[in-house]
Amino acid sequence: MSETAHEPRNKIAHEPKSTFSQEIAAQPGGEYIRKCIQCGLCTASCMVANYTDKYRPRKMVQKILIGEREEVLSSELPWLCMTCRLCEERCQEGVSLAEIFHVVRDIAAREGHIPKVFKDTVNLVMKDGWLLKGSYTDFEQDDRTSLGLDPDLNWNEEFMKKVKARYFGKEPVEGGEQE
Amino acid sequence: MKEFVLYTGCTAPVRLPAYEAAVKAVLDKMGIKLIDMKGANCCGAQYVESVNRHAFAAMSGRILALSEKYGHDILAICGACSGSLKWVKHELDEDWKLRDEVNALLADEGLEYTGKTQVKHLLQIFHEDIGYDAIKAAIVKPYSGIRLAAHYGCHVTRPYDIVRVDDPENPTIIDRLIEIAGGTPVDYTGKTRCCGGPMLAMDQSLAVKIGLDKIRNIRNEKADGIVTACVFCDIQLTQVQFGEGVGEKERIPVLTLPQFLGPALGISPAKLGISFNKISPSKILAGVMEV
Ligand code: SF4
Ligand code: SF4
Repeated sequence: MSETAHEPRNKIAHEPKSTFSQEIAAQPGGEYIRKCIQCGLCTASCMVANYTDKYRPRKMVQKILIGEREEVLSSELPWLCMTCRLCEERCQEGVSLAEIFHVVRDIAAREGHIPKVFKDTVNLVMKDGWLLKGSYTDFEQDDRTSLGLDPDLNWNEEFMKKVKARYFGKEPVEGGEQE
Repeated sequence: MKEFVLYTGCTAPVRLPAYEAAVKAVLDKMGIKLIDMKGANCCGAQYVESVNRHAFAAMSGRILALSEKYGHDILAICGACSGSLKWVKHELDEDWKLRDEVNALLADEGLEYTGKTQVKHLLQIFHEDIGYDAIKAAIVKPYSGIRLAAHYGCHVTRPYDIVRVDDPENPTIIDRLIEIAGGTPVDYTGKTRCCGGPMLAMDQSLAVKIGLDKIRNIRNEKADGIVTACVFCDIQLTQVQFGEGVGEKERIPVLTLPQFLGPALGISPAKLGISFNKISPSKILAGVMEV
């Protein structure tokens, strides 16, 4: 058998709409997108896909591969991945959907597409240094004391100010609304 | 005596302090010394992690650098935190540019990440640092006739190459500990599936459906309780049983691993914060202690 035996008889006239998949592949964690064979095992093993029809990880990878950049970046779907990585235990090609969707989120965030809950939580943690300052009342302090635990949680608030200035500028994190 | 610096994360101290107390009581009993990490910050899991990889590395990187200052490896008791810290450690060990960037932010506090400390999740302490034999030898009031379902937590066990805790497809540490304490570990459909916790931010009703799927699978095996090793999983698997569709009598108690082990090791319920559990585990504990 010659080397060319596997080549299609007629060249398929398919061009991705954009270089989105290359953009993803160029970032750490995104490189494996090149290996996806579109088998759908990820969708089959995903609990999110199991309970909502709108979420299909294989299909989202397909959209990236065919270059639907704007559609993917402005969608809430990449933010629905729980990063549980069950699919990547199953994927025979070593593709990490959690990583690919992190890269997508990173690009989306830079272009102003961040779901409100993510935006609000990031701003909160930048301000307080930790997530639950607002929920830590006398009631919880008493619980800790009764358990013999230190009620003074001693979180550092200063460092996050540096992180914010370095990576998010002075203003709160902004993001466009998702469809 | 082995020593670790304990990073509790944001959630345990406020929403699940009984877990923190039980970790301390059980590890103390098993000869592990814990030092509370002071002046820490959020590890950045999920939220900052999703919007800026560098900011995330700075946040978890600072916690790693703090552990170097203490001179001890980190014990993380939450799946999200242990996953984040291990992930960022891996990144900082590979990507020297990122490491320099993080260290530049840490410099004026006199902190530096050099990579000399390790991050361990609670399951590793039981398996690697204490060991099954020592735990077996310390059991004074074994359970009997109690069926328990282990839930490991996605971010505790995956991705294996980075977290290195247990077999991600067929984890055994919690099951072994249930057995050692005299309980019967039960297998159930979808054991390694997610509890749905990470979905709470984006879609609460979807998160509940995913959580209840697991509860149903566990109920099908007639388990008396669920044993967890992550703050978020524990809260999620408890909370979903308080919505519609689960009758009060059907609720399955959820216990953190040290709360389960503690009574068998002769530790009092007060020290383990048993009374804080929203679904009373009295049936499970009846044989081993007065609740
Ligand atoms: S399981 Fe892997 S190869 Fe198959 S569709 Fe999903 S990502 Fe692609
Ligand atoms: S990592 Fe994301 S896509 Fe994969 S199974 Fe989990 S939720 Fe689904």
